[in-house]
Amino acid sequence: MEKELVEYIVKSLVDKPEEVQVEVVEGDQTTALELHVGEGDIGKVIGKQGRIAKAIRTILSASVAKDGKRTTLEILD
Amino acid sequence: MINEFEGKTEQEAVAKAVAELNMDESCFDVEVLDEGHSGLFFKKPVRIKVTVKEETSEEKSAFQQAFEEELSQFNDTPEEDENPNVDPEVVDKISNFTKEMISLMGYEADIMTDSIKGTKLTLSIQSESDSILIGRKGKNLDALQVIANAYANQLDSDCKVILDSENYRIRHEKQIVRMAYRTAQQVKKTGRSQLLEPMNPYERRLVHTALNDVTGIETKSEGEGLFKQVRVLSSRKHH
Repeated sequence: MEKELVEYIVKSLVDKPEEVQVEVVEGDQTTALELHVGEGDIGKVIGKQGRIAKAIRTILSASVAKDGKRTTLEILD
Repeated sequence: MINEFEGKTEQEAVAKAVAELNMDESCFDVEVLDEGHSGLFFKKPVRIKVTVKEETSEEKSAFQQAFEEELSQFNDTPEEDENPNVDPEVVDKISNFTKEMISLMGYEADIMTDSIKGTKLTLSIQSESDSILIGRKGKNLDALQVIANAYANQLDSDCKVILDSENYRIRHEKQIVRMAYRTAQQVKKTGRSQLLEPMNPYERRLVHTALNDVTGIETKSEGEGLFKQVRVLSSRKHH
């Protein structure tokens, strides 16, 4: 669910949606989402002073947690 | 004007005074005459003496007037479109994008177009989960708005999106103006400056403009970055 949400938002913001990859890393208490984007798109996902990244994380934290786990987002380059 | 009131507790006595005099608590001075005793078998009531402050009640009404004038700028009636300058197709796309985003978050919502003023598009989120979509201090609504704007900018670089739900934006603006006036009143009374909590540029502007007309009060922003704090200070000190 959260994976689809992040994918949907990120794909709508970048120039190369086909290169967006989200990997799910399950932990005990948290689920980590690792985000890869195409070259030159990372700035679009992070935004000025991290505004976009921060907003995506806020939206993640507000979304319905199915199994009560928190979801974190890591943006990798 | 001096009145005496009784109650089981000081608060109760004050509440009685407020009801009887039909005035706000800040309009009068409260002096406790008898603190009352809670003995084992009986309770002696608390007695208070209430002195209405004549001159400050006048000052307050001037305050109240300025305050109400300021508030009347924000009306709750739906706004009319003014020279809409956003492609209807773009409006649809942004609206659908917002709806899809919320649905992937696990909530159901309808998105209505509130108004289009030039390139400023206001969308309203209607959902049973509106309180969580707004979030504490509008945190979630602001986050959704940031993303909606990033998306909109790709379609039309001039387009600005404002997301609202249950008239939260107007309610919030009123609340800020109200808080600004309350703080100004306290600062005037005590002469001590007060620092407000961190606010974004838009919210700070509301405070500055609201208190601009209030005599004897100055406002200044302090701090770095997007979220600065406004200090409300008495300007009498400097003269």
